[in-house]
Amino acid sequence: MKALLKTKGFREFLRVLLALAIGLSLGFIITCFVSKDPLASYKAFLFGPLSQLNRIGDWLEESTTLVFLGLAVAIVFSAKQFYIGVEGQMILAALVSGVVVLYAPFPPAIRIVLAFAAGSLMGFIWGVVPAYVKAYLNASELVSSLMMNTIALKLFEYLLSTYLQLPKVSGIMSELFPKEVRLVSFIPNLPFLAETRALWEKQTSVTVMVYVAIAAVLVAYLLLYKTPFGYELRMVGSNNKFARYGGVNVKRIIMLAITTSGLFAGLAGVHVALGIHHRIVLNMSAGLGFEGVNIAILAFNNPLIVPFASLLYGYLRAGADVMERTTDVSRELVTIVQAAVLLLITAERLLPVIQQRVTTQDDEEHLQEKGEANVA
Amino acid sequence: MKPLIEMNDISKIYDNGVVANDHVNFSVNKGEIHALVGENGAGKTTLMKILFGIEKPTEGQIIVDGKELHLNSSHDAIAAKIGMVHQNFMLIPSFTVAQNVVLGSEPVKKGLIDKAEVLRISKELSDQFGLFVFPDAVVDGINVGMRQRVEILKMLYRKAEILIMDEPTAVLTPQETQDLFKAIHTLVEQGKTVIFITHKLREVKEISDRVTVMRMGKVIGTVDTKDVTKEQIANMMVGREVFLDIKKPKISRGEKRLSVKDLTYVSETGRPVLKGVDFNLYSGEVLGIAGVEGNGQTELVEIMTGLREAAGGEITVSGKDIVNQTPRTIRMLKIAHIPEDRLTNGVSVNSSIKENLVVDRYFKAPMKKGLFIDYSVVDQATDELIKRFGIKTPNGNLPVSSLSGGNMQKVVVARELSSEPYVLIASQPTRGIDVGATEFIREQLVVNRTEGTAVLLVSADLSEVMSLSDRIITLFEGCVTGVFPDASKVTEEELGAYMLGVKQQTPEEMEKFL
Repeated sequence: MKALLKTKGFREFLRVLLALAIGLSLGFIITCFVSKDPLASYKAFLFGPLSQLNRIGDWLEESTTLVFLGLAVAIVFSAKQFYIGVEGQMILAALVSGVVVLYAPFPPAIRIVLAFAAGSLMGFIWGVVPAYVKAYLNASELVSSLMMNTIALKLFEYLLSTYLQLPKVSGIMSELFPKEVRLVSFIPNLPFLAETRALWEKQTSVTVMVYVAIAAVLVAYLLLYKTPFGYELRMVGSNNKFARYGGVNVKRIIMLAITTSGLFAGLAGVHVALGIHHRIVLNMSAGLGFEGVNIAILAFNNPLIVPFASLLYGYLRAGADVMERTTDVSRELVTIVQAAVLLLITAERLLPVIQQRVTTQDDEEHLQEKGEANVA
Repeated sequence: MKPLIEMNDISKIYDNGVVANDHVNFSVNKGEIHALVGENGAGKTTLMKILFGIEKPTEGQIIVDGKELHLNSSHDAIAAKIGMVHQNFMLIPSFTVAQNVVLGSEPVKKGLIDKAEVLRISKELSDQFGLFVFPDAVVDGINVGMRQRVEILKMLYRKAEILIMDEPTAVLTPQETQDLFKAIHTLVEQGKTVIFITHKLREVKEISDRVTVMRMGKVIGTVDTKDVTKEQIANMMVGREVFLDIKKPKISRGEKRLSVKDLTYVSETGRPVLKGVDFNLYSGEVLGIAGVEGNGQTELVEIMTGLREAAGGEITVSGKDIVNQTPRTIRMLKIAHIPEDRLTNGVSVNSSIKENLVVDRYFKAPMKKGLFIDYSVVDQATDELIKRFGIKTPNGNLPVSSLSGGNMQKVVVARELSSEPYVLIASQPTRGIDVGATEFIREQLVVNRTEGTAVLLVSADLSEVMSLSDRIITLFEGCVTGVFPDASKVTEEELGAYMLGVKQQTPEEMEKFL
């Protein structure tokens, strides 16, 4: 146990677990105040997502979106750029990929490939302006990316309602994508799986996007941890003066960090359009772009942890949905739980007792060494 | 007369084991201008931070005006009428001068800040003490000299009787310095007491009544300024240390590898920092730059390594002018750099040791294979360097933050020396590290020089410069003031005189040795 406690990874895991436990308990206490039947309500929240196949489907679909968004944010955060423009990148990518599958004069398979390319490219391009003003004019990426989000959302609304609006419907939406360009189920089309596949296809829209997400996780991991670019990006993030001294072109890396993250945000948009809604529709991003920030924080910016963080976070959101629909507690309760969990995870002093006890010994060894240090 | 301030037997040992003050006794009389001098790292600022309540002494006693003080914060110090003007000003740039002066204890009328009163206070204080400011100007738009006066006014508004000024002239132009000195005289005439931290001897002679000299955390002595010459103060500051015994085989230097011509640099505040520096650097020699810190060494090194843009001049290496080139371009010419501030530039503390060791080579073969970095090569190189340079760590995957200062510096040295440099620029290579690592690093520098590397050594530690260098130049206020072609034939007193601007060689004298 002690050896296990010494590994940083395990301690961080413990921290997340503790944070989650405290957050959920807090949520329950509040439920007791607001609900007539707190036990039932909380049960709906905790176990709801698993109670029906379509709910499991919702959970997995949303988690897939979160994976892409979490990866996008993890990349920019690794470079210590407080860029939160993935919402805008995602929504415009959804629009562009939707337009491609609707109108590009190519066979369906090529249209889908083009939609992916166009979506991620859109994400990339939408990052160029905030990236440039940060890297070369030292303008806060936080402010510029927030402004770009608003521009993106309004642009999306304008283009959708002006050029793509389906006539004679009350909602603002485009026509449905043709059947042949929808993504296929994530369950392979094999004889012995036919029944399961049919069931899942009927009740959920979990598509091959799941595999794309897994591939994206691997790509992001390799990019960040195995390539020269990733090394440069992480060095800029951990000490940009050191990176510059070592010869890294810091401005170029800041540019590329923000734009590259757009590629992943773009895939989230593609997923939302082609995998979930099958059309372009108002509010299709559902504010998920900002949740990407939370995923990245939960995953300590590590692409390999992003899928787990996404599943956890997606579960909380799915549970919130079920609870809101079936009980007298609104979904905002879960926002409180989420906020508490994130707060506790980002609070560095959480679990100091364990950490201290384990590290005291190391520190003592260090002190001895440093004791030999002379006057500066 | 009983002194106004008495600091008795003050010691300060930082958590990392650095002894900044070692049983220091320091006293100041009422109404005097007391200069506190010493080289960087001598412990002056720490001592004053203790007096201002920002640092807590490990032991010792502070008596002000006959009362013993226990200072827990700067608020306590201000309550005891002690004020400090820091090296880096602590003003709010978007506020006006007057708002900054009263910040924290604003005059209030009917629960609201009395704006007219705010302005009036600043005007009145400004007139009373001859500290000229524009009360309604926004701080962002005023020059450094005025910002400093605002800082002083802030302290006067808080009724400070004792003013500590931490190297107030370091950022000022000569004209501004003269204005400041006038203001200090006015303050003293009105009964204030001023403690003036500096390492410029001319200023000590010009302004102070008494001077206390510190070296290596200890007080060397306190004397009446009029009784000593600049040379005597210089000797006290520099002192005599036991020379470290370094085996340095005699070799004759080789070809010219780097030449600096008429290099100039002007700081952001418009102060000329380098005023036309010339020198050459040859293969197989250690050229030492001796100088009190703040005389342009930092800027010189940063310009030579691409971290700072020069105003003019050229630096030629292998036929190329490297002024205002990127650090990568300069590194590709095999110029290695041990930076003076290892925590800022030299390492990324939260990254692993191995990532710190490869920052200059991860992008080329054999470490880069195809699209990826081959981490098996990186790991192997890391293990080799850890062994060769004796970095004390279980493995290269630990963060640099887990190392002691000396071992962190070994990481820097390991990286820079293993790049087989054509020119090596070492800035304060042994500052703040333990004796073992110091010795090792010095040895390594000499080994590289003997193998033919051209080594430029910048150090505030004079004995280090003298024992390692083959040739020495002195830098004072951005000018080369002397060249000593044989480092073994020069005394500290002589160097001290040139470092502190007491003496200066003519360009003709220097020309043939540069």
